[in-house]
Amino acid sequence: MAYYLGLVQLIGIHTLLGLSAYVLMLTGQLSLGQAGFFAIGAYSAGILTVIFELPVLPALLAGALIAAFFAFLVGFPALRVKGLMLVVATIAFSEFVRLFFFNLSWRVPRGDISVGPDSTNGFREIRYFVANGWSAFEITAFVWIFVILVMALLWWADRSRAGAVLRAVGEDELAAQSVGINLTAVKVAAMTAGGFIAGIGGALYAHTATYIDHLTFTVLLATFAIAYPILGGLSSVFGTLVAVIFIQGVLVEGLRFLGDWRNIVFGLLIIAAMNLKPSGLFDAPTARMLKRAVGLDGRG
Amino acid sequence: MSDFWFEFVEITQTVGDGLLFGATYALIGIGFTLIFGAMGKLNMTYAGASLAGAYAGLAAFTFVNAPALVVFLVSALASGFIGFVVYVACFRFIPVNNHLAALMASIGALFFIDEIVIHATDGSPLTFPAMFEYVMFDLGPYGIRGDLLFVFVVCVVSTAGLVYVLYRSRLGLATRAVSQQDVAARLCGIDVHRTNAITFVLAGLLGGIAGSMTAAAVGVLSPLVTIPLTVKGLIVTVIGGLGSIPGAIVAGLLVGGLENVFLYFRGVNERDMYVLLLLFVFLVFRPHGISGTAIDRD
Amino acid sequence: MLELRGLSKHFGGVKALDRLDLTIDEGEIFGLIGPNGSGKSTTINVICGVYPQTAGSVLFRGELMNGKPPHQRLRAGLARTFQNIRLFPTLTVWQNLWVAQNSPGDIARQGFLPRWFGTTRRTRQEIAELLELADLGHKSDELAANLAFGEQRRLEFARAAAARPKLLLLDEPAAGMNSQEIDDLSWRIRRVRDSGVTVLLVEHVMELVMGVTERIAVLNFGHRIAFGTPSEVQRNRAVQEAYLGTSAAEAGPADGSA
Repeated sequence: MAYYLGLVQLIGIHTLLGLSAYVLMLTGQLSLGQAGFFAIGAYSAGILTVIFELPVLPALLAGALIAAFFAFLVGFPALRVKGLMLVVATIAFSEFVRLFFFNLSWRVPRGDISVGPDSTNGFREIRYFVANGWSAFEITAFVWIFVILVMALLWWADRSRAGAVLRAVGEDELAAQSVGINLTAVKVAAMTAGGFIAGIGGALYAHTATYIDHLTFTVLLATFAIAYPILGGLSSVFGTLVAVIFIQGVLVEGLRFLGDWRNIVFGLLIIAAMNLKPSGLFDAPTARMLKRAVGLDGRG
Repeated sequence: MSDFWFEFVEITQTVGDGLLFGATYALIGIGFTLIFGAMGKLNMTYAGASLAGAYAGLAAFTFVNAPALVVFLVSALASGFIGFVVYVACFRFIPVNNHLAALMASIGALFFIDEIVIHATDGSPLTFPAMFEYVMFDLGPYGIRGDLLFVFVVCVVSTAGLVYVLYRSRLGLATRAVSQQDVAARLCGIDVHRTNAITFVLAGLLGGIAGSMTAAAVGVLSPLVTIPLTVKGLIVTVIGGLGSIPGAIVAGLLVGGLENVFLYFRGVNERDMYVLLLLFVFLVFRPHGISGTAIDRD
Repeated sequence: MLELRGLSKHFGGVKALDRLDLTIDEGEIFGLIGPNGSGKSTTINVICGVYPQTAGSVLFRGELMNGKPPHQRLRAGLARTFQNIRLFPTLTVWQNLWVAQNSPGDIARQGFLPRWFGTTRRTRQEIAELLELADLGHKSDELAANLAFGEQRRLEFARAAAARPKLLLLDEPAAGMNSQEIDDLSWRIRRVRDSGVTVLLVEHVMELVMGVTERIAVLNFGHRIAFGTPSEVQRNRAVQEAYLGTSAAEAGPADGSA
């Protein structure tokens, strides 16, 4: 049971990661740097609960805000480039963050032992949930409160003028400018929102995993982040959720019997999926069909 | 005074070594830039394929004790072959204007290649044989490592060969035509798919040389190098200006030289952080890279 | 209203626009015509800030526009359409107009509220009028990508009008239209003008230009070669030569005549 709850938590956290890339992709920006914001959220929140002994909720919000702040900063130079250049810039950012935490050592004594990030050895003592006696079920509920909150907000925003503006920028930047949309503001806002969401995901991840190190936050994780909305399509936030369930729940769990060979098959599956369904597994026609099937057709 | 002199020699020596080694980065950068120039797409597999080529060379050495020259040749050919396979698997059948899908597919291929290497080697680093005897050329207070010099010379020769192919042969003409005007090239009877495939193979050959050279100079081959080498190759490509071969050469040497400066002052763990910062400096002040050609294709 | 002073735009060695002077008065429908490659679209793109000018200046209602990004020029009252239609294809017709609305107060109040209860009566009213103007009332929830060509042109026109501009720049709005559609377009242009909008019409289709404009400037090779009312311009020798393809050297010096 605990194992499945763990999986449900992971799906929730990866949904947040995927949604952070989704927001950016609405504006036509592809970022391979979401793992970096995720890492910032994870380490910041971890440091706040472990070293500063804050409760988890303020630590989580602070972690998300710090991640959002860095996303805001990255937004400006990244704005000067687009398309594949942005991909490179964000990979570089995320690697920078990873190397920063690889080098970060901040140990403080706590009783007989010392706690805190320990560069290569990782950050091992993020035991807030255990120390406060949360049950696995409570932790899962806590994670999903944020997932549902973020999904609801994005779903809501998508029906507002702001959502239409984001999509307009993603569709055609020149036309968007010509109807009076400030590209800089919209793109930086999307970047910041993406950073915030990834930061929440990272903070939750650090506390559910209790142990993080720099190897968690590689380009592989960033690839997952963009793979979810690419597979799920950009027509709605639910696509991302479905893609996460499909990849983490069905593929990763389902292929567990392959053991070490799983990653090889995984690479092949990505290649196959992109060749067969280049616009995503749940592209517009498929999404319409699914919607009709579950009776969600019709727009707000 | 003598302390200062000693330090000065030390630093310039470091920079010199870095410049020589930077030639391999230049080759990787050229490979990325070549494919970007031809198709307007990033082939994320490239650095991974180059290292896989080096592994093939290593296998040739381990199993049949091939001589140095053959090892490099096998590396180049293997990487060229991988380049062809990657083209077919990740680019050939994906719609031309769908950059996202091609990018994702090539990332998938990167994981695939990486995992195969990890499986074949149990994930542990392997020593790459010293292909040549340890030679040191003395130049006043400086010493030039023979192997680095060799790496540099091989890189220069292969770059020259590539430039010759691109600018002096009919094949190169077709490649450049496709990169400049895809549709028009098609109408002139150029087989775009074939030309693109050849570009991938050419880039792969270069990559194999770069991969085995890197391995020979460092002495170790490890799957852990893939992502850092990919990132460095991309940085060189962007700093040089997407699609610019001269830019990639200059940027490769620049990154190689500066990297050793960072290494000298800040140590190996922090070195790469500063290289990454260098990219952001360029993005802010010179977003189109050294060559300055504004390619805003996305 | 709009004043271009010595406006030049060079692309490398090509002088797409060379020291153009032009003044458009408030409330008129002004035509800008010329053969292919004469610099008409470049003029619009420079006025709207898509390309920076090489030299000269753009003054709009007495305010210098040089160096301002396109969205600021729109907020100052310059709206445009595109020669090759550029709608937001995955947004609905209604959303295309919604996004283009530009009353700051309303946006601050309703920017993050969903359409079904976040929009004010005024927003809905305005969009309904625009839909009527574009004759797209029955398609308001259709995706822009699913519209027919003529409908897309009408939507783009309405989208430009949605910002309540002071000056509307139309870049070849009649391209590919039949004469019924051109009549409709003339009606639409006049109606927008009557609501207090000045119109700069860049066009190829003489049927539309001659019917709807009050003054015309003719461009050739980035120079203004003629200027006047439609009938004056039609009689102008330099214009006839430019269109019939006599050499530019002969056509050039005739500037300002008629």
